[in-house]
This record gives sequence, structure tokens and C-alpha cells, in this order.
Amino acid sequence: MLEFPGQEAYSGLSVFSLSELNAAIKESIEVSFPETLWVVAEISEAQCNSKGHCYMELVEREEESTIAQIRANIWASAYRSLSRKFENATREKLRKGMKVLLQVNITFHEVYGLSLNVKDIDPTYSLGEMARKKRETLERLTKEGLIYLNKQISLTMVPQRIAVVSSVTAAGYGDFINHIEGNKYGYRIFHKLYHAVMQGEEAEASVISALRAIRQEIHAYDAVVVIRGGGSQADLSCFDAYGLAVEVAKFPLPVITGIGHERDDTVVDTVAHTKLKTPTAVAEFLITGMKHFEERVLEAERKIVRLAKELMKEEIHRFRFIVQNFKHVLGSRLHQENKTLEITMHSLIHGTTQALDAHRNRVKLTLSRIGVALKGFFQMQDNRIRHAEQAVRLLDPINVLKRGYSITYFKEKAVKDGHELKEGDIIKTRLHNGTVKSKVEGNDGEK
Amino acid sequence: MGKSKLTYASAIDELESIVREIESGEIDVDILTSKVKRASELIRYCRDSLRHTQKEVDKTLSDLEVGSGDADPDAEE
Repeated sequence: MLEFPGQEAYSGLSVFSLSELNAAIKESIEVSFPETLWVVAEISEAQCNSKGHCYMELVEREEESTIAQIRANIWASAYRSLSRKFENATREKLRKGMKVLLQVNITFHEVYGLSLNVKDIDPTYSLGEMARKKRETLERLTKEGLIYLNKQISLTMVPQRIAVVSSVTAAGYGDFINHIEGNKYGYRIFHKLYHAVMQGEEAEASVISALRAIRQEIHAYDAVVVIRGGGSQADLSCFDAYGLAVEVAKFPLPVITGIGHERDDTVVDTVAHTKLKTPTAVAEFLITGMKHFEERVLEAERKIVRLAKELMKEEIHRFRFIVQNFKHVLGSRLHQENKTLEITMHSLIHGTTQALDAHRNRVKLTLSRIGVALKGFFQMQDNRIRHAEQAVRLLDPINVLKRGYSITYFKEKAVKDGHELKEGDIIKTRLHNGTVKSKVEGNDGEK
Repeated sequence: MGKSKLTYASAIDELESIVREIESGEIDVDILTSKVKRASELIRYCRDSLRHTQKEVDKTLSDLEVGSGDADPDAEE
């Protein structure tokens, strides 16, 4: 017990120095908790120092509040084997947020106070916890109707403009780009990287932030691809987080994942539009989609070429047939027309000849009739002339004189009337032969 | 033939419908020629677009550079 100035005032009380108290507490704890215990807690902080010793805060939470808390440490040697054991089993790193089952020693240090010294860990508990949490998250998402939301967005026929969420250093990103750029069909895909941390504590927030950045430029893309390297199998728990899953589920474009793991699908895989195993598989998926599309196009082309050729052949046949037919019909018509023409010509010639003959005959006839008539006419005229001649001859005074008539002239004028003469006139009388002068002795007196 | 935006989906639809028309055999020879020509255009458009996104790249880049919210809604294929 202590001895200090003025102690008399405190006679009857037990007064201890702090070191005495802490020593007593330490002893008490060592007695009460002599052996290790298995304790369940959540890691709320975890840091390792340069020597490899790990210092943690362990908590127990109920709803949102902390109902218990204690410090813990893992010495470097223990930490190495412990963390390896944990990672092998869970494929996750020991870190903040993990619920763990730890084997601990309760220690009290005079200077550093109460803390748990961690000796061992049972990863099965954490696995179970993680599985439970994942199940709960999936149930919650199902209840909120988010599980199929992204799947219902139809992926455009040829996704050619891709927003890539990945880490620029991730091997998976390099694989993806090489596969896209080196595709043997010469297809081109426009892609832009939205960098994000793809594992560890910051992953969830980082990927969410990348997705939100893509939303700002949503019209430039056909789909989003979330990929990370197949190298490390660990640290996929960020893809089981509710917050990230909601962001993916509600994303307005189809989200394709290629997170590169071989175990069960993560929650994000489940809510995404399409889940593929690796970044290379995603690239393959896109290229194959384009190939299938092109095959449809080429198939249509083949059909059209074939059908068009057939149709054209048909048309050419029909055309040839029509031309042949035409030639034939034309030939036969021409022949017909020729024949008709010949016949007509013959009839024409024949008819003309006939007509000409008839005409000629008529002419001949007419001529002969004219001839006959003329002859008749001339005959008649001839006869008339002859008659006239005859008459004239008969009447010709000479001929009349021949017949014994005579013409008596008195004063050079022929005398018709005897009364014109008186006795003693000298008259001339012309006889057929010669002329006689006479003296009128008197007339008979016929009055 | 419209100058309206061709998309892969609309191009393949039109192309396959031309195939069906020709298959149906009820097509006139004159129309055949123009349909084959149109099909040829569509085929060339599809095959070229698969391999040349340069135009789209330039357009999208310029859309992105203009800033958020200014992206042209018609830039979507």
C-alpha cells in the first residue's frame, strides 16, 4: 500500500498507486481468463505497422450502434500465418468490415490497458458470415425488384460503343483491349476507360463513382463493361456489396461483367445484364455478336444474289420466248401479208389487163363503129354529092341545052317571061350548039 | 429512299424484308433492280460500319468534350 504525505487524513481507506492498481487488475484478469477464448466480433479498424504487427479495433454492432468495443493485436509472426490461412479459405483479405471468429488471449497491460491478443482465426465463421450477408443482400434486392432490372434492358443488336470500368493497371483490361483491337475480322469498337479501383476497401465507392461518371455521358455508349484481372482471385467481396449492386441494377444501359473468378457469381454478376467469366470472354462475346450480325447480312446477300439471278434467268427466258414468238408471229404475218400482196398484185395485174383489154376492145369497137359511121357518113355525103352532082349535071344549062332546051337572052338577060318582049326585039337564043339571032314576030299572048 | 438514320437493327430488318419480298416471287423486274440496289446499299452500310467507327469516334469524342448533358441524343446508333 502507498505511503504518502498527509496519509493520516485518509486513515481507514485503502489507497493504491496506479501501478499497484493496474498490477492488481492484470493479475485479476489473468486469474479470471487464464485460457484463450473464441470470440466473435467485427473488425472496425485494422492496421499493420512496419514490423508487421497488426492492431485492430473489434466491435459488436446492433442495428447502427456499437454495443461493445475492444482493442486487439496480432503479432507479426501470428499475423502472417493467420492472414494466409484466412485468405486461402475465404479468398478475402482480413480487413475492416469483416466478421471474424478469433481465438484470443485477454491481456491487460499496465501501460497500454486492456486488449485482446489474437492467436488464431476460424475462417469458416467468416465464410458463413459472408455467405449469409450475400444471401441477405440478394433477398433484399429481389424484394426491391432490382434483380432483373438490368437484364430487361435490351442490348442493342451491335454494341459498338463501350464504356469500360476497370483499373488501368489491371491485366484484365489489357487482355480485353488486345482482344478487341486484334480481332481477326477487322471489326472496330469504340471504347473509353473509366478508371476505378477494382479490389479492396475503396473498390465499392470507386466503381460506383465510375458508373456515375458514365451516366453523365450515357448517350455516347451502347453498353458498360466491368472487368478486372483474372490474376488475383481474392477481394471480390466488394462485388457483393449492396450499394454497388443497386447502382448496377438501376443502370440505364446493359452492364456486362467479366470479373475473372471461378467461384460463385458475385451479387453484381447476378444483377448485371450479362455475366461472363473473364475480360477476354467479354471481348469475345462482343466480337462474336458482331460476327453473327455480319453473317445475317451475308446470308441475306447470298439469298438475294441467288434469287435475283434466278429471277433474271427466268426473265431472260421469258424474254427470249417472247422474242422468238414475236419473230415467228412476225414472220408468219409477213408471209401472210406477202401472199396477200401477191394475190392483190395478180388480181390487180389481171384486172388491169382485163380492163385494159376491155378498154382496148371498146376503143376498137368504137373506132370501128366510128369508121363504119364515117364510112356511112362519107357514103351518104358521097351519095348526096353524087346526087347533087347529078342534079347539077342535069340542071347544068349545058346539059339542059343538050336535051334541046334553049336560053333566050334579051339585052344580055335571060328571058323568062314572054311578055317582056315586044315585036321587033332582037333576041339571042343560045342553043346547045351555037347561038341564033332572031327577031320577035310576036308572042302567043298567054296572059 | 429516306435519309432517316439507319441503325443496324433497322438495316437488317429492311434487308431481310427485301429477301422475303424477292422470295415471294411476286416482284416485278423493274422493282427488282431498285430493290437489289437498295439491298446492296444496306449491305455495304452494315459491313462498313462494323469496321469503321471513326466517324462515330469523332462525333462521340466531340460530344464528350462538350461536357456532360450536352451529348446529342441522336448520336445513339
